[in-house]
Amino acid sequence: MEDVIEVNELTKVFGNFVAVDHISFMVKKGEIFGLLGPNGAGKSTTIKMLTTLLRPTSGSAKICGYDVVKERDKVRRCIGIVFQDRSVDRRLTGKQNLDFHARMYSMSKEEREKKIDEVLDLLELKGKENVPLSEVPDGVRRRFEVARGFMTYPEVVFLDEPTIGFDIKARMDLWDQIKKAKEKEGTTVVLTTHFIDEADYLCDRVMIMDQSKIVALDMPENLKAAVGTDLISIEVANHNNGSFIELVKRLEWVKNVEECGNSLLLSVEGHDGRVPELIDLADQNGFKVVSIDEHKPSLEDVFMHFTGRTMRDAEGSDRATRTRTTRRRR
Amino acid sequence: MVSETILSAKEKKPLLEWTPIYSMWLREIIRFFNMKSRVISSIIQPFLFLGLMAIPFSNLIPPEAQGMMSQMFGGLSFFGFLAPGIVGIGLLTTGIMGGVTVIWDKEFGFLKEVMVAPVRRISLMIGRSLGGMTIAVFQALLTIGVAALFGIWYDFQIQGIAGVGLALVFIILTFATFIGAGITLGGMFEETEGFMSIVMLLQMPMLFLSGAFVPIDRLSGVPVLYQLQFINPLTYGIDGIRAALTGAPPFLPLWVDFTVILAFALVFLILGARAFNRMQLS
Repeated sequence: MEDVIEVNELTKVFGNFVAVDHISFMVKKGEIFGLLGPNGAGKSTTIKMLTTLLRPTSGSAKICGYDVVKERDKVRRCIGIVFQDRSVDRRLTGKQNLDFHARMYSMSKEEREKKIDEVLDLLELKGKENVPLSEVPDGVRRRFEVARGFMTYPEVVFLDEPTIGFDIKARMDLWDQIKKAKEKEGTTVVLTTHFIDEADYLCDRVMIMDQSKIVALDMPENLKAAVGTDLISIEVANHNNGSFIELVKRLEWVKNVEECGNSLLLSVEGHDGRVPELIDLADQNGFKVVSIDEHKPSLEDVFMHFTGRTMRDAEGSDRATRTRTTRRRR
Repeated sequence: MVSETILSAKEKKPLLEWTPIYSMWLREIIRFFNMKSRVISSIIQPFLFLGLMAIPFSNLIPPEAQGMMSQMFGGLSFFGFLAPGIVGIGLLTTGIMGGVTVIWDKEFGFLKEVMVAPVRRISLMIGRSLGGMTIAVFQALLTIGVAALFGIWYDFQIQGIAGVGLALVFIILTFATFIGAGITLGGMFEETEGFMSIVMLLQMPMLFLSGAFVPIDRLSGVPVLYQLQFINPLTYGIDGIRAALTGAPPFLPLWVDFTVILAFALVFLILGARAFNRMQLS
């Protein structure tokens, strides 16, 4: 499969804060490619550079073979963008917004009408297109923005946090609509998200970002397989974890041990019955098990595996830097 | 691939991108008509200004002083003098307020949609200005119509179609000046509040030192105010509009009015386009 996006050592520095740090990756034609990471990891900045909204400090990126700095307009012609914040004219109806967009891309009248009809259908917006957007719920407005992203036959559609602020039902609907639109149009989709389930459900490949760098990039299944077949998190009392770690590490079916807070995350191999075995082990050595839980690895575990912390922890510690940079960008 | 064909067709960019200009224009018009309150207020406004300001003012002058005063107003009645000034004031306020829509677009995020379109910034600027201009011209013509109606009782006569045509030239140039200034200012602010406070500060002196209410030569005894009138673009606009509409002799030769307001219009449109170019997305 050919690559529609080539990113090479892309870097963005705001003042003395490195928002994106020498990242390189490729996106294949027709895939849904997800950028997953906590807020402030550099996902949106990456997207902004790829969509020609921000100029990279160094490095390069090509979309459909066009350079995002030198051939901005050509890049703009072959992409569709769904911004993180709202970006419609609320005084206009959904249809008027779509029509305006199509005109800006110089589409002919017949083409516009055909395409508007098509995207309204894909995003299940029929019957809502003639209401001013100031009068529709946020979820509907968002779907109009997604619909607009697919209007101009883009090669690549960028979605920046598409389902932020959605309830579960609305999110799942939008996921399916995005999938459907992508299939129908043969588009490549690049999206950013800090929702684990979104990346897991929607994406063919996921690139995990943390602290301005890529920490992992693969298909969700492979990423999860890298963590182990099964995961057990165990927390023992008396906070004597140090020696308990040593005990656990000696077990031959434990492939990897990670400390996170008071608990340990074990990647284990093989069959059931590992949980009782662990409890026995703790008992025999005078440790009291506070909690124990066995589960299949999720992308959350993948994130922890590669960064040593949970996504939520990461967001907390990055918040201070993030507010600083937003202010600077104004 | 479809995008491929769009690409090759647009390989070389025309100087004026008509479709995007037209769509920006259309958006302004649709926005105007989508807001019923704006349509209604723009229709009522000429009646308010002319009925509640020009008529009471013109009643200030007792009938026996009419002759002497009319000399001061270049042979016009006070109402006839004020009416073209009111047209000019309308252009000043709607033009500068056009800048507020730039800030709204920033606040409500629509600017992003426009900024990533594969279109020249200048086209966006032209389309937006033309949209505002269409509405402003419509308002100005309405004001002239209402003035002509009231003029039956208050002695105001329009110098035929040619007069209105010439006035239109000045109306367009005056509006171009102020929408350019509005967009330039709008580009500097992130919030409406800051913009509005500066606009108030600029608008007041421009309104009162423009010859709209007081003939400009009446201020010759107050040198500072007298001089200030000549750096105000509105002075030239109103002088031109008034002479064209009423046939009264202008204070400055008409070609001077025309040249100066044309120069102002070009300067502010260029400044506005540059402001648009520099606008950053947060």
